Amino acid sequence: MIRLEHVTFSYGEDGAQGGGVQNINLNIETGQCIVLCGESGCGKTTITRLINGLIPHYYEGKMCGEVWVNGAKVSVQPLYDTARIVGSVFQNPRSQFFNVDTTSEITFGCENLGQPAQSIRERLEKTVQDFRLKQLMGRNIFQLSGGEKQKIASAGVSMMAPDVIVLDEPSSNLDAAAILDLRATLAAWKSQGKTIVVSEHRLYYLQGIADRFIYMAAGQVKKEYSAEEFEQLTAQQRADMGLRTYRLEDLLSPKALQPATKQMALRHFCFAYKNASQTLCLRDCNIPANGIVGIIGNNGAGKSTFSRCFCGLENHCGKVIWNGQSYRPKDRLNTCYMVMQDVNHQLFTETVLDEVLISMADASREAAEKILADLDLTEVIDRHPMSLSGGQKQRVAIASAIASKRAILFFDEPTSGLDYLHMKEVANVLRQVRDRGMSVYVITHDLELILDCCTDIIHFESGTIIDQFPMDGAGLEKIRSYFINKKIINAPK
Amino acid sequence: MNGVSFSASIDKRKGITLDPRTKLLLLLTVTTLMLSTSNEGLMTFVKPCLSLVPFLLILSERRVKTAGKYLLLYAVCFLLERIALTTLSGLLSFTVLALTSIMTRFAPGIMTGAWLISSTTVSEFIGAMERMHITEKIIIPLSVIFRFFPTISEEYQAIRDAMKMRGIRFGGKNLLLMVEYRLVPLMVSVVKIGDELSAAALTRGMGAPIKRTNLCRIGFRFQDGVVLLFCSVCVGLFLCQQFMML
Repeated sequence: MIRLEHVTFSYGEDGAQGGGVQNINLNIETGQCIVLCGESGCGKTTITRLINGLIPHYYEGKMCGEVWVNGAKVSVQPLYDTARIVGSVFQNPRSQFFNVDTTSEITFGCENLGQPAQSIRERLEKTVQDFRLKQLMGRNIFQLSGGEKQKIASAGVSMMAPDVIVLDEPSSNLDAAAILDLRATLAAWKSQGKTIVVSEHRLYYLQGIADRFIYMAAGQVKKEYSAEEFEQLTAQQRADMGLRTYRLEDLLSPKALQPATKQMALRHFCFAYKNASQTLCLRDCNIPANGIVGIIGNNGAGKSTFSRCFCGLENHCGKVIWNGQSYRPKDRLNTCYMVMQDVNHQLFTETVLDEVLISMADASREAAEKILADLDLTEVIDRHPMSLSGGQKQRVAIASAIASKRAILFFDEPTSGLDYLHMKEVANVLRQVRDRGMSVYVITHDLELILDCCTDIIHFESGTIIDQFPMDGAGLEKIRSYFINKKIINAPK
Repeated sequence: MNGVSFSASIDKRKGITLDPRTKLLLLLTVTTLMLSTSNEGLMTFVKPCLSLVPFLLILSERRVKTAGKYLLLYAVCFLLERIALTTLSGLLSFTVLALTSIMTRFAPGIMTGAWLISSTTVSEFIGAMERMHITEKIIIPLSVIFRFFPTISEEYQAIRDAMKMRGIRFGGKNLLLMVEYRLVPLMVSVVKIGDELSAAALTRGMGAPIKRTNLCRIGFRFQDGVVLLFCSVCVGLFLCQQFMML
């Protein structure tokens, strides 16, 4: 059982940085699954940190009030003791593992707690069976997909057999199939009587598992809903609260969007990474141009490889014929631009303005300011790009693409980990970019984004395009059946 | 993407299994002896033997290409060094000598180090350090290094891709700026990852003041004895030579 009593916390020394939460009172019964929801920055993550003890032991700040987990004061108890009763799964699969190989990673927590080797081995065997991890054992974690990494993290938590498990936006970087896997893991934990606290934007996969929803805003608990009450909210009510959809089936059909009218031809798109079998092999085909084209498919289906090849990042792959002109990989480097999932990688300069100026063939301050104004970045023109919010960074990257006169834009999962409003914001930017006459391609696992702005869909599976269609009535059915009627693969027992 | 090359080979354990402590000793021997002496007397034989060490180790993992490349590079530098010493003269001799001796002195150490990191799991390394009674304050930072080499290489590749997309115009201006453009985003993401990593490790009981269990079985075996003998012979010969020179 978890109890938060009059907890107030703000980050930074003397609480100067703000953020945090104010006067939180919360009782979580043993065996319940509660979901913390609300916009980015509403304090969801802070609550998970209060429960697993990272606040106040790791993140500095000013704290009042008390958090109790199983009768122990978390703020007094050292972290390694809290670790025995509270397990944590984090948002970013890339940064939550300490080892390089999967097996040591799963046993890492138990080893730290000094449990006897024999009992760890026995538990490892059982966990591998329950989570069906046999094929992932002894592998290099760096070569796993996001979903697989998240599964290893969950297995590592499970090994330590904690009573309480907190998850901080665990689905952010997962595809539709991996989210179902995650759901199955949560269901298994719940059936074992664990107390589960999930902070999430995506809510649909928690249906049937969550017992209670805590809606937060500006660091405070605004309202609590039982699962039934939350169910009865209308889609519009939830949207007004800034929440993502709870039932994928509810999602409104898209406004009539003009599907792509032009096409571009792909020739010889086949590619294999060094020491790997072929990851991409397309028959010569045409794909929609001048629209907002959603690229869907499971992890490992070849979507990223395709976009890398298309943008010319791989030197020897394919030819694109568009507007009667033929583009080789080198030409495409100057025609296409990819906004990466981790946009931090592509911002280099000291100010936002520089970022745009440096991309222009003949730098003119006026033109640069115009582009930035169009993307609503005027206010931050002199700021350091790294100090901006995620959405602003994304727009700066887009601004630099516009400045260098690219005609084709790729987005790699632009809405992973975003709340409803920020997702809408991205959709608006995509439409705006398209209205400038650019062709937009979006790799995404986000059904809400697709329904909001995509005009066409390309569906990848096992390295090839298995389907492509405009988002009309029939297309809508297809996309829904892809996202909604997926079977659960590899569910833990 | 696919290029995390030098820590990727633990997928299926191939090659010679050595205790991490033996590996450290080997690394120490190779680096010290290759760097410390001139190429005279006994060392003319010892040095080529030492430089074969990484070749054999990598070959034993059946990474034939990498091993071959290393051997070729070393052989060419070695030969050029000899030629520069005996037949060339003046500035040319100096330049060739400088370049090739840097290569011949550093390459074996670097390759052995890379092999050590790629062939040792974090858990084995921690186990070995604990057996040597080294304090946790040193073990933890050192073990993070294993985790960070592949991370840095992953991040760096992403940044290189981003640079490539921005075009040549973006880079040509001056060297210092180029370095800055690459390092700033790298630093930002590495710091962020490090921060999240520490938090994750702490929630899993890292730093508890109890004796940590270690599941991996480390210990000295026959092959460790052979390597030990080899290292002592090399060091012995080296000391012999130093002694004779006095």
